[in-house]
Amino acid sequence: MQRADAHPYMPQPVRLERVERLTEKESLFVFPRPQGFGFTPGQFIMVGLAGYGEAPISISSPPSEKDMVELCIRRVGSLTTILHKLRAGDTIWIRGPFGRGFPTERMHGKDILFIAGGIGLVPLRSLIKEVLAEREDYGRLTLLYGVKSPKEILFEEELELWQKAGVDVRLTIDRAYPGWKGNVGVVTTLIPQVDIDEDNSVCCIVGPPVMYKYVILSLGNRSVRGEDIYLSLERKMKCGMGKCGHCQINSIYTCEEGPVFTLQEIRHLPEAI
Amino acid sequence: MASYFVDKKGFLAFLKGVIKKYPLYGTVERDGFPVFKKIEEPEELVLSAKPTHLSPKEFLFPPRELLLRFNLEDGKAEPVVEAREQVIMGLHPCDIHAIGLLDRVFSHGRGDVNYLERRKKTILIGTECLPDEFCFCQSLGTMDADEGFDLFFHELKRGYLVRVGTEKGRRLLKRYTKPEKAAKKHLEEVKAHREKKLKGFTRCLDARKEELPLVYAGSYEHPLWERIGSICYGCGSCNHVCPTCYCFDVRDDVTLDLKEARRYRVWDGCTLEDFAKVAGGHNFRKDRSERLRHRFNRKFRYLADRFDGLFCVGCGRCSRACLVGINITDVTNELIKDAKS
Ligand SMILES: Cc1cc2nc3c(=O)[nH]c(=O)nc-3n(C[C@H](O)[C@H](O)[C@H](O)COP(=O)(O)OP(=O)(O)OC[C@H]3O[C@@H](n4cnc5c(N)ncnc54)[C@H](O)[C@@H]3O)c2cc1C
Ligand code: SF4
Ligand code: SF4
Repeated sequence: MQRADAHPYMPQPVRLERVERLTEKESLFVFPRPQGFGFTPGQFIMVGLAGYGEAPISISSPPSEKDMVELCIRRVGSLTTILHKLRAGDTIWIRGPFGRGFPTERMHGKDILFIAGGIGLVPLRSLIKEVLAEREDYGRLTLLYGVKSPKEILFEEELELWQKAGVDVRLTIDRAYPGWKGNVGVVTTLIPQVDIDEDNSVCCIVGPPVMYKYVILSLGNRSVRGEDIYLSLERKMKCGMGKCGHCQINSIYTCEEGPVFTLQEIRHLPEAI
Repeated sequence: MASYFVDKKGFLAFLKGVIKKYPLYGTVERDGFPVFKKIEEPEELVLSAKPTHLSPKEFLFPPRELLLRFNLEDGKAEPVVEAREQVIMGLHPCDIHAIGLLDRVFSHGRGDVNYLERRKKTILIGTECLPDEFCFCQSLGTMDADEGFDLFFHELKRGYLVRVGTEKGRRLLKRYTKPEKAAKKHLEEVKAHREKKLKGFTRCLDARKEELPLVYAGSYEHPLWERIGSICYGCGSCNHVCPTCYCFDVRDDVTLDLKEARRYRVWDGCTLEDFAKVAGGHNFRKDRSERLRHRFNRKFRYLADRFDGLFCVGCGRCSRACLVGINITDVTNELIKDAKS
């Protein structure tokens, strides 16, 4: 029997450098990157507060950002509501990183189509920024980003910067909204508009559970192969180490084998999408 | 593996010695059924052949276990590992197999210090049993325990045959008794008991255990799930009593004086409604039928892939505990029948 010396539930404290409100429900939490904190885009950490518990949160900054770590957290429940009351100088407790992120090395030389629904942009941002840091290693970059209404658009200024850096950024909102001149409709309505070289593209998709099925169907229509489609799945998580059972999708544990999977890997799992 | 004979006096002396040195958890009779409790006097302990309704997992994986303490005054945190030396006595072969599976789970990947430390400090003592109308361990290869215990007591007419599983067990036995080498007649008595046990089963699975993962894989859309889902209460008793169910929740609370916050884990169960529900209300296993299907698949398929062993040891506790009579052998046999036809 193996013994772990360090206590697996012991988190480390980090002091928030900055808390920035992004939208009505989402804020950015920035803290200095701890020593030895290595990760890949798509990985997550457990973020906690003493007395309020922990929640899995994706790392939103890229590994190439050496000084700071950024999290973008939506206020939805007990812990996230308290987190939203914090200010610069306050302490949060983190554990991790956990899980398997996006394998950037397998995307070298390829076109990448990023598809984000709502808060799904948060983990994709880490990947997009990492890819832009090594822009010449990749082919064409396209981001399809769908939100409910213009008020919910995250990282609006960065979207413009990415556009300038050569990402074809396309936005859509679910329903018409006064003053909105862009595309209206769910994110899948953007897919037929983009030019996909199905032999040399990968797609990276993150969004709410309902989104995957439709996006995958449209990509299937465009002949994108299952092994070229990466998705990040969300499930309830309590331990982050493949034990507590909450994140199980049929036989697999999302926190360990995921949260990023290829469609190929999960196609046979009826509970996945 | 060495076998010894200990007479009844020697047995009491052994218990006395153990109780002096360790907290001893063992079985006593209550309303005609054995239950595990802390043993204070040697005479209390009854090595029962009947299965206990609750599994002994609570002594290694407590229903509520402290993991961390946060000092809210100075902002510091410390991990907590509550592991004491202890002896658990009266484990049946299925329980010993179940603990072997929990060992695999908690040492998987990043080892779970809380479990592993406690496990290291625990002495496991088995005893022989007889099946009731729910047991079916003979179908799963868990009817006999050849390893996974420190000592194993077989009750004989005039004493006990004691099998030694580990050096730790041997030392414990020799510290408090003067065991003789077991004689042929003792071994024969053990063998006769095994024959009797084998004849006592009223339930069995109609397939070999190696076939079960495939049976379950092929039964995902079976109408049975809807049928049992429609009567299931989603009460979680089956998870609760199962010796190999180990899912848990992690929660925080704060002491009344607001000086300390504590992070602890509590047992959770995949048949409970909120088990896979996330913030915002989306429930990945909304229906009871889905949750039952998940539980059964975990036992016979999902975890078998992950840990190289079925996660049902045939103790029958889930069937025994189920208020609406959902019986794991009936369920499995219906799937087997339809898979074979
Ligand atoms: C891999 C992963 C990455 C995530 N990344 C982000 C992110 O970058 N930003 C963000 O805002 N949200 C993210 N989430 C969702 C976030 O974890 C939940 O919104 C959060 O747990 C809600 O906690 P709460 O205490 O506020 O809500 P409550 O409803 O009060 O939740 C109670 C507890 O249930 C569990 N829980 C509830 N919902 C979820 C959920 N969706 N996922 C996992 N556990 C849950 C948590 O342990 C939580 O402590 C991510 C989820 C996963 C699985
Ligand atoms: S699933 Fe039922 S019969 Fe199997 S080990 Fe668990 S409680 Fe015992
Ligand atoms: S014990 Fe029976 S009723 Fe309760 S959750 Fe399990 S199967 Fe359903």
